[in-house]
Amino acid sequence: MTEIVREVTVTPAERTVAAGRDLRGPFGVALIALACIAPLFLGNYPLHAIIIALIFLLPAHGLNLLLGYTGLLSLAQAAFFGIGAYTSALLAVHFGTPFYVNFLAAGVVTGIIALPLGIPALRLRATSFVMCTLGFVIIGQAIAKNWISLTRGDMGLAGVPKPHFALGPASFTVSGTVGFYYLVLVIAALATLVVYLIVRSPAGRNMIAIRENETLAESVGIPTWHYKLVVFMISAAFAGFGGSLYAHYLTVVSPLTFQMYYSTTMLIIVLGGGAGTISGVIFGSLLFVGLTEALRVAPELRMIAYGFFLLGLVFWFPNGFAPLIGRFSSFLEKRK
Amino acid sequence: MFFTVIEQVVNGIVSGSVYAIVAVGMTMIFGVLRAINFAHGEYYMLGTFGAWFAIEYFDLPYPVAVVIGVVTTALIAVIVGNFVMQRIVGAPAEAGVLATLGAALILQNTIILVFGGSYKFFSGGYIEPVTLFGFTLAEQRILIIIVGMIVFVGLELMVTYSRMGKAMRAVSQNIECCAVVGIDVRHIALWTFILGAGLAALSGVLTAPVNVSVYGGMGELITFKTLPIIIMGGLGNVRGTFVAAMILGIAESLVATYIGLQFRDTVGFATLMLVLMWRPHGLFSAQARF
Repeated sequence: MTEIVREVTVTPAERTVAAGRDLRGPFGVALIALACIAPLFLGNYPLHAIIIALIFLLPAHGLNLLLGYTGLLSLAQAAFFGIGAYTSALLAVHFGTPFYVNFLAAGVVTGIIALPLGIPALRLRATSFVMCTLGFVIIGQAIAKNWISLTRGDMGLAGVPKPHFALGPASFTVSGTVGFYYLVLVIAALATLVVYLIVRSPAGRNMIAIRENETLAESVGIPTWHYKLVVFMISAAFAGFGGSLYAHYLTVVSPLTFQMYYSTTMLIIVLGGGAGTISGVIFGSLLFVGLTEALRVAPELRMIAYGFFLLGLVFWFPNGFAPLIGRFSSFLEKRK
Repeated sequence: MFFTVIEQVVNGIVSGSVYAIVAVGMTMIFGVLRAINFAHGEYYMLGTFGAWFAIEYFDLPYPVAVVIGVVTTALIAVIVGNFVMQRIVGAPAEAGVLATLGAALILQNTIILVFGGSYKFFSGGYIEPVTLFGFTLAEQRILIIIVGMIVFVGLELMVTYSRMGKAMRAVSQNIECCAVVGIDVRHIALWTFILGAGLAALSGVLTAPVNVSVYGGMGELITFKTLPIIIMGGLGNVRGTFVAAMILGIAESLVATYIGLQFRDTVGFATLMLVLMWRPHGLFSAQARF
């Protein structure tokens, strides 16, 4: 009936970023350099904040592929985040497998679990799909709480080891904040690269076609159903990788890993940064952490301020905050 | 055995009535605004708090407290409606989700900030047990069922015959055409929202004597229980929502008795998924309305 017709193929976010193209290279290099030397001038607490931001970047990248590029609003990311965290924690606690095995297993298992969940869910449209994905989170939490023989219920799984690497005779454990920062930084960079490659490939353009007009996309021969299913699985796998990092960083998982709050956090990162842009999502996850950390000065007012922030985001920056940066950089360019 | 089943079904109808009163408001809001109202449970909470405040601080009798709870919530709904809900008419789905989530966070945490996060004792209501047809029920539960029916019949009549009700149906079918023929869509949206919030508050105040405890975070659970109901009932469908609410209430009560209390809060979404697999557009419509 009333469908939301988007007139523009290129979102304003994409357009403004393109306008500032000349600045992007140097800016990116500066950012990477800054990220590499960050531990030199940041204390442990800000570093911890950035680690959390980079961990959340993974599920947010996944959600961006789903929402920003394929146009599917999903609240299931917290469920997959939780499944990843539990997979990793269970493997580590019960079998003592090394970090990289747990990490890969978390992503793969989550991606596979997403298949039977995605098949019925993706048959639904709009609101029903949103609710169904929210249901995954609620049911995931119930399973984590009540399958006590496996998950120890509300007590959670404690003692997930810090990542440990053994290459031949050399072995080291990533225990400190700085070490973990570099580990997460590398993984986040790889994830960003993967998303970039997906988006730039013909598959990425097909995804955008599905977002813009699914019926049209199907009529020109794009197998929309398979695309949606595969993107759903990829996005779940990203969330699973993120969950694994989260488990190994905090060394404890509990049913609280499955909560609606995380799904909305990821939604805010994507929409706040600028759905359908990679830089926007990176910016969004850092901004989100900066915001929650800044709001910590007044804990009782924190959630209220967060609520007002959401309203402000929706009504004043419907395309996210990233276009603001684009506008700023094109402003700088004009002055040159 | 059989008697216990019947007893649980009656209990289920009571909680079904509670959900129904909340859910019809939410489904009507969805029909008009096309937005899932994630803040809907908060109006349930606000109503309860209004009544609790009136009883605790002014020693007012329960019926007066009910009115105060509902009116206070409606006034808050006027503010939220003007600043938030009216602006999401015609906005994309994501905007509705984020905006109502923001409203939920603000309402819930303001109450926690003012009254503290602890559980409070709700002392009003009619909790004397009475025996009817061999069942022993608290008076309050009977009151809930009666009010539930009155709300259902009243809404059916309003939606079918009154000018406002007809306009609401029209807006939920086609916003653009309504604007063309001169229906003030924003006005209708605001009033639907106030009505929905008021009904949620009514439901909260009616349930408070049964639940006894009142706390700031109570709205969230109600939101999560109402969401599957409105989807199952077919979005914007008042009659379907009532049936879905009853089904869920009875299912929850049976699951709590025979499978385990800890699974009660999962019943809603589990049922929803099964129903959606079988009928992707809800129980009562053959095609997607939205």
